[in-house]
Amino acid sequence: MIRMNKGLDMLQKNRKLQFTLLLLFILLSSASVYFLERSVTAFLLLLGSLLLLHYTHLSKKIKWSIALILLVVIIPLATSGGTSQQDYMEVAVQTGIYIAMALGLNIVVGFAGLLDLGFVAFFAIGAYTYGIFASPQAATLFHSNIFPLGGAWFWPFIIIGGLIAALFGILLGIPVLRVKGDYLAIVTLGFGEIIRIVFNNLDKPINITNGAQGLSQIQQPELFGFTFSLASQFYYIVIAILLIVIIGVQRLENSKLGRSWKAIREDEIAAQAMGIPLVKTKLWAFALGASFSGMMGVVFSAKNMFVDPSSFTLIESITILVMVILGGMGSIPGVILGAAVISVLNLQILTEITNFLTQTINIPETLSPTKMQRLIFGVILVLIAVYRPKGLITAKTKQFDPKELADQTISDK
Amino acid sequence: MSHIFSALPQVLVDGLTLGAIYAVVALGYTMVYGILELINFAHGEVFMTGAFIGTGLLLSMGAFGSALPAWITLILILILTALLTGLLGMGIEKLAYRPLRKAPKLIPLISAIGISFILQDLVRFLAEWKTGNYIVTGTTLFEGKLTIPFSSIIGTFQNATIKTNTLILIGITIAIMFMLDIFVNRTKWGTAMRAVAQDQETASLMSINVNKVISLTFFIGSAIGGATGFLFAQQYATIDPYIGFILGLKAFTAAVLGGIGNIRGAMFGGLLLGVLEVFAAANLSTLTSGVFGSEYKDVFAFAILILVLIFKPEGLFGKSAKEKV
Amino acid sequence: MTALELKGVTKQFGGLTAVNKIDLSIKDNSITAIIGPNGAGKTTLFNLITGIYKPDSGSIVMNETSLINRKPNQIANLGIARTFQNIRLFKEMTALENVLIGMHSHLTSGLLGTLFQLKRVRLEEKKAAIDAYELLQTVHLSEKCNERAKNLSYGEQRRLEIARALATRPSILFLDEPAAGMNPRETKTLTDLITHIREKFNLTIILIEHDMKLVMNISEEIIVLDYGQKIASGSPEEIRSNPRVIEAYLGKGAVS
Repeated sequence: MIRMNKGLDMLQKNRKLQFTLLLLFILLSSASVYFLERSVTAFLLLLGSLLLLHYTHLSKKIKWSIALILLVVIIPLATSGGTSQQDYMEVAVQTGIYIAMALGLNIVVGFAGLLDLGFVAFFAIGAYTYGIFASPQAATLFHSNIFPLGGAWFWPFIIIGGLIAALFGILLGIPVLRVKGDYLAIVTLGFGEIIRIVFNNLDKPINITNGAQGLSQIQQPELFGFTFSLASQFYYIVIAILLIVIIGVQRLENSKLGRSWKAIREDEIAAQAMGIPLVKTKLWAFALGASFSGMMGVVFSAKNMFVDPSSFTLIESITILVMVILGGMGSIPGVILGAAVISVLNLQILTEITNFLTQTINIPETLSPTKMQRLIFGVILVLIAVYRPKGLITAKTKQFDPKELADQTISDK
Repeated sequence: MSHIFSALPQVLVDGLTLGAIYAVVALGYTMVYGILELINFAHGEVFMTGAFIGTGLLLSMGAFGSALPAWITLILILILTALLTGLLGMGIEKLAYRPLRKAPKLIPLISAIGISFILQDLVRFLAEWKTGNYIVTGTTLFEGKLTIPFSSIIGTFQNATIKTNTLILIGITIAIMFMLDIFVNRTKWGTAMRAVAQDQETASLMSINVNKVISLTFFIGSAIGGATGFLFAQQYATIDPYIGFILGLKAFTAAVLGGIGNIRGAMFGGLLLGVLEVFAAANLSTLTSGVFGSEYKDVFAFAILILVLIFKPEGLFGKSAKEKV
Repeated sequence: MTALELKGVTKQFGGLTAVNKIDLSIKDNSITAIIGPNGAGKTTLFNLITGIYKPDSGSIVMNETSLINRKPNQIANLGIARTFQNIRLFKEMTALENVLIGMHSHLTSGLLGTLFQLKRVRLEEKKAAIDAYELLQTVHLSEKCNERAKNLSYGEQRRLEIARALATRPSILFLDEPAAGMNPRETKTLTDLITHIREKFNLTIILIEHDMKLVMNISEEIIVLDYGQKIASGSPEEIRSNPRVIEAYLGKGAVS
């Protein structure tokens, strides 16, 4: 036992050793992804190397470089070994979309402490913004033949989708933010449902969303004549947006705005007494959180080439919430982990277990774990609330170097 | 427009029926919120579970059940359902809320959402396992129908039909509300409940067992919610595991409308909301000349919910409480 | 010079008149103590001035600017800062972050500046951290700068609240029972701190306090409230011998 502790201690101090072990791990897991045919375990291990990387004591620069190489080069390469690259990449793309949304919701719930149960509405708004203009729908709506817009418009629409979602965030926020604490959860839930029902029925009197049939034939993204159609191609779009989003939220977290969100979360009255305007600060949280979701909505509709209201139900909002809670409210690495765990659970593990079970012991369909999503989410929520309310990775506070600060104050005088 | 007027009696009957359900479910919300300041999201699911337990009991009684007079079966099932859902509510409190009493407000709310999902899925699982389908259609204890001749009162009114089940539902819910009102206002335990709602610490100093009172509150709220679930199943015949969530939200709105923590207010809020919703569902299309049909009835209900929470969070009769600084 | 002027300020809660037609005139750069039995309306008065409650009638004027109908954050920006009777720190944030939040209105970085980490923004943040550290030094908390507020001791939390309030760069500072729960030694340090910050930041200080030794030691003017009314005001000596004050504290008949 003592020897093991010593070993751990040494590992914690020795960065070179950490680095070597990490490389070894990456090598092994990527090789097994490459050579084994569709092994979920191997793929999870490969993704797990990112978590391992998080816990190493390497410098920030090295961490980011390794993460980039992993995401941009190693993972696509490793999955290209067998016939199931597109399956892997499909999972990766979905996971990326969920991570971005969870980071958006984390601003609202984790930083600002506002429980939003209708978050998926902003995802819907992003998806429909691109969906309407990049499908034949806009042509019938505006009686103009410049529509549908070509795939090149996808890129500006990432921004436009984000902006429109942010605008809706503000529009909903203005009345909603008068409501306190737990009532806010109910009001946002109501708004989320209203938006879904409206999208579901807005095929008359004017056909805007094409109702329950949804929008199809949405244009795929195009760049200099190249069309993104495969999951392995979308992967790069998602990674790029995700990197921007992660850097963005990290910078926000310890900024003036980020601090005022947390201040409002901790104590509204004290925050106001410090000169922080409540409504404006909350609106920023709503708008920025919504914009991440809106951007990913655009990607979602371009990738599936189809949107309909059934993708934006309450369970989706709860799914994103579970990601944030599981990972740790206010903790950026935590939320990324939470989103990854839940998406992979949803998209791969449950299906795998189901397949395995139906093959081996022939269980009735009712029992199939894929259908147990709600039960699993519910259990996660209760367990986390009771035993680990700060989530898997607790949010860290920014640490300052007192020595450096002390030196500066003296040199000032 | 004249159609709206002539159909009014039926709208009123249907609205009061739905409203009575909202009212009883709202009681559960208002009692818990009054004491713990917690939106017990799972209460809608307790109602739903009650619907399934009751229907399950009825179905499993089979031949034995049909030998009994219908009203004895009804009372037997109601009591059993109430007992089981009451215990369920107590269990939920102990497991998911009690450990969190000192946690930040967001945390118990999250736990409540979790419980709500767990119940939905467990019931779905059991229902599918036993019947092959999660949507369950029960047998009806009372088949009768009654026509109230409104047209003979005012000529332009159409007659309204009312099912025997509906009469029973309205009768029992009114009885429940009366009994609860007497319990809370006239008995020792009711007084203890009100004391704990006012100030837990002081109440505990007055040698009131706060945990016991909270357990009792959950038991009563869940018992009457669950029993109403069975009445709901009788009234509308088909049930599924997801009926509780939205209905719960509406009932919560009713509770807020009547002033949260206010038991009589919740009854009033429930009836009002029920009538408004049925009226909207029946007439939205006519009123907006076809632009919005009855598919918008939930939008209407949610709009009421949002408006109430934003502009009248203290309810129609209540005073707003200020945070102590 | 008058720093703050109240005329006929009244606030009712239901049937209870918590603050009844209070007139006050606070001198610039003075230390004023507001004393009175529990429930006399002292904290309510603070809450009225800092915008948490809205008075039913009366006027509150600071430098010819009315404070009525302004939100608490606007009043903070006009140069009024406060601490709270039942400590209201941002518990999960570090001591230094708490002070940084006090600087909110004096930081200029916008959203784009933050997202692109402009040089200006980085410099501003750095400077803010140094200033915050210096404020922590002022209240003798610099060693705890990375500690979460909830992990500080009671006395430390009270001092952190003062540092946080100072970070808003106020001209008037309200302290609501700053010595509550402190031992005599801590109270002594606090007394020195209060006089020190008045000199250093050129402050007008108004405090609510039950510790009479502290009150008599540092205040130049004392105002006595009872049942929402001002029953006396004057120098410590005058208050000490005022029969109405003794009556309010000790009950009728105590004087004779």
